[in-house]
Amino acid sequence: MSAVRPLLVLFGSQSGNAEDIASKVGKEASKYGLEAKVKGMDEIQISDLAGQKRIMICCSTWGEGEQPDNAEDLWTSANAEGSPSMVGVNFSVLSLGDSSYDLFCESGKEWDSWFESKGGFRINQRVDCDVDYEAPAKQWMDETLAKMGAVDDSGVFQESLVGDVKNHATGNVASKAESEPKTSDAAVEISTDGDRSMVILFGSQSGNAEGLAAKFAKQSTDYGLDTEVADMDGFDLSSLSSKKRVLIICSTWGEGEQPDNAEELWKKAVSASPGLLTGVNFSVLALGDTSYELFCESGKEWDKKFEELGATRLVDRVDCDVDFDKISQVWAEDALASMAAVDGQGIFHEEMVQAIKESMTSDSTGVSGEDGFIVPDLKSESLDAEISIFRYDPSSSTTGKDTWICSLPGHMSILEILRILKNTQDGSLTYRDGAVDDPTTAITINGRHVLPGNLRLDKAAPIRDGGVSIRIEPLNGFEVIRDLVVDHWALETKREASKPWMVSATRKGLSTPQGAIGSMAPLVASRLHSITDIHSYPILHSSSDATTHSEEYFGPSIISHAWARRNDPRISPIKKKEIESLLDSPNGIKAETDLSSIRRQGKGTIIHDALLNCKTSTLARTGYNGRHGKHVWWYAVTVKSSGRVNDSVLYRQVLGPIGLIGNLFTGVTARMVLGFTRTGGKMINDILALIAPPAGIGKMPRQFNSSIKNHHEVIAIFNEMDGRF
Amino acid sequence: MPLNYAYHPGNTAHSGSPEVAESMVPLAKSLGIKLTNLEGATSCGAGIIRQANRKLQLALNARIFAQAESLGLEIMTPCAATAGNLSEDLFELKSDPNLLAEINDVLNKTCGMQFQGETSVNHLLHVIVDEIGLDKVKSLVVNPVDFRVASYYGPNMQQIGFCGGDDVYDPNYMEQLITTLGGESVNWDSRMQSVGAPSLLSEEPTVLKLSASVLNDAKSEGAQLIVSACNLSHSVLDIYQGKASQRTGLRTNIPVVHLCEIMSFALGHHNTRFAQLRTRVMVIGD
Repeated sequence: MSAVRPLLVLFGSQSGNAEDIASKVGKEASKYGLEAKVKGMDEIQISDLAGQKRIMICCSTWGEGEQPDNAEDLWTSANAEGSPSMVGVNFSVLSLGDSSYDLFCESGKEWDSWFESKGGFRINQRVDCDVDYEAPAKQWMDETLAKMGAVDDSGVFQESLVGDVKNHATGNVASKAESEPKTSDAAVEISTDGDRSMVILFGSQSGNAEGLAAKFAKQSTDYGLDTEVADMDGFDLSSLSSKKRVLIICSTWGEGEQPDNAEELWKKAVSASPGLLTGVNFSVLALGDTSYELFCESGKEWDKKFEELGATRLVDRVDCDVDFDKISQVWAEDALASMAAVDGQGIFHEEMVQAIKESMTSDSTGVSGEDGFIVPDLKSESLDAEISIFRYDPSSSTTGKDTWICSLPGHMSILEILRILKNTQDGSLTYRDGAVDDPTTAITINGRHVLPGNLRLDKAAPIRDGGVSIRIEPLNGFEVIRDLVVDHWALETKREASKPWMVSATRKGLSTPQGAIGSMAPLVASRLHSITDIHSYPILHSSSDATTHSEEYFGPSIISHAWARRNDPRISPIKKKEIESLLDSPNGIKAETDLSSIRRQGKGTIIHDALLNCKTSTLARTGYNGRHGKHVWWYAVTVKSSGRVNDSVLYRQVLGPIGLIGNLFTGVTARMVLGFTRTGGKMINDILALIAPPAGIGKMPRQFNSSIKNHHEVIAIFNEMDGRF
Repeated sequence: MPLNYAYHPGNTAHSGSPEVAESMVPLAKSLGIKLTNLEGATSCGAGIIRQANRKLQLALNARIFAQAESLGLEIMTPCAATAGNLSEDLFELKSDPNLLAEINDVLNKTCGMQFQGETSVNHLLHVIVDEIGLDKVKSLVVNPVDFRVASYYGPNMQQIGFCGGDDVYDPNYMEQLITTLGGESVNWDSRMQSVGAPSLLSEEPTVLKLSASVLNDAKSEGAQLIVSACNLSHSVLDIYQGKASQRTGLRTNIPVVHLCEIMSFALGHHNTRFAQLRTRVMVIGD
């Protein structure tokens, strides 16, 4: 962005109120890196507006919905034939009026509609003020200035920068009133430049905490962090005061004691002055053993002490039981992404965390993240982009796609691209707009379900031959209203039908100085939380391919939530049974046809594992009855019987005679026998499968599958691990 | 020196899709891949055994991994479902030392085996593009596949860490390969959509709709043929396409062959079958 970013503030005023507000806007603008010119509407020609990139309008209404005197001429010119286009203009209107009049705020509304009709981009919604206008006007001014500050030199609104611009402006007010007005460019960029150092401090007795510290230090390089692993033994606590990022990994020894190597440092911390660690961002991983009464006590003490000393907790402490591998990795991914979002001045950019995680996911080859990771830059080179967007017009019930070939900055978010296309190419393009992390804005890009404000163009698809090709479609599993907008109502109706509320059992609470409170083991709490910590339920719902084709299926977002609720130790037995009957129903977990589709998307591994456990639980409860149960049961039995799956036995046992006859009349059998479009069907084998007698009770026919080599080993594994088969 | 892999043919290569195993052997020979049979390898579980007992499937697949490890080889399979399921279990075992120790106890007790985590799982497609190279494939083409082809990946192997150097969400290895074989690749949306193979017999109405949408999408985009990287999906898309059409009213007639078949045809094997396929491509469809 260039150093000078002009803003035009226009006022149409009768009594002077609109002029006062415009004047305030002009003064405040410099904090947002903007150079404002404040003009009355009678001081400007309509043609002068066309070249502007940022315009804020403050306009009062006079009499019965009339323009104020100083705005009349401009309004007449605006509505004359041949008035200029406002494409490329980012605008917002503050409208002043009096609700006791019939046509309240009419003039402001007219200007708002006019700018839109001329192709301008409404960067912030119009605000209509009554006679008590100060508070809403101030709010409109702050919000609009932050957004105007995020409009780049080419006139493109970069929504991802709004938070940074706002933070920068707030910082100026608080502590740097005399500082340079145009430094927002540097403030909004987190890069590998500047201080990227981090300390991982470990207190370890058996070596587990030390091992994790080393492991996460290695992973931290992927996040662009320069990490030092430090033993608490002999560590100088005061040296932390100059650090911006600290992670603590600490085990607990004996009855809630600090490990040997942490004792001395802990004594120093206890006697340290409050405020010693002001400016330090931290998070704690506590290791322990739930079989001890004071579980993870040392980690809890460090967590509390750091807070008392003035440090800022970026990620909540996680307490691990002896099986700490997975849960510690989850903590590390949150903690490292958050630490990476702390800039060189120690300011935490919360809005960057998700983008960093997304970058990690899209670039890495696995959870271990062995690929090189670069903390996402906010700026990058332009890319040649081919953008195809699904279109649906409900009035004519026609579908199709529109394709644009253009050159766009790689750092631009998909949401920003949609806005540009709407403002400059096709005003009828329809999508859900919103904040970068608004879960309802979700769309599908090249088969991947994403929040478009969180995804950069250069991360949306692989760059091939110097360009990217992206297909933007609405989320599957929902009715499309228009273009990319889907109707979430069906999902909400299902959620309501699932009765997702908690009904707790009466049970003994934990006695605390504040009174008795309910509690649960930290590990259980973390597991349940990981299942329900879903940012976008529409995305999760859409991640199942089955939801598109099975209208009654509740879908993974509702099922996973119900599963977590069912396993909540606080739940009442009656509610638990109610949830189990939902999960076991034909529209419950059995209706999910392929969990691998869910595993592919976003947080899919955690949900995949939860749904798999849910399925196992349902199968056990329902005694492997019904087609679903029989399918799983006989698959396992045939594998035990020979080492290979036996298709013919599966078909006979699961479908039964009626199902087989059904297949005969629908051509399935013929295709199976003949290998219809395939090229090598073994007719005789497949015919045998049809005419062989059904398997006897407790017996497995072996006439089709020869046993694999060392088949006895397979039987031994089955017998050792699951005697049911 | 030929590439040498521990070969897992996939779950249904011995039964529902024998053409895959039959075409794999001459194909491997042409490509210079030595297939070392994993004799005694079980079904990968197809995501079904783990529904009953997750650790049971892990133990069965850990036995396969231990066999490959004892041969000092990586595993290769032409089935995307098998590649996905094995990769998932391998990832699980490698990332959880406690779980690996527990499963190793079972392996030791039942088979006298141990798995140290020293093998990996590859799909044939990724071996061809990443290891052999498309230039070599091009030099081996005898019968160009001059069809408009829709490449079907399925969801199982399109996961982070499971698909070689290809992109998880926007793969193009198979499209590149089809072009190398002389074919024309069709752009279509459903190439990674599940056809519900793990629930084929239990949730048939949904599976038929899933299959019909995949088949119809390929046809709508002008494909004459679907080439599948998955043995299971390949069978479902072929065997159930008539029934899927009856249930949904969608046009679904289209030949479906496996990647191994089309490659072996292009490289000069099974000429009679290729001729039959050509006839089917001309006859089937509307």
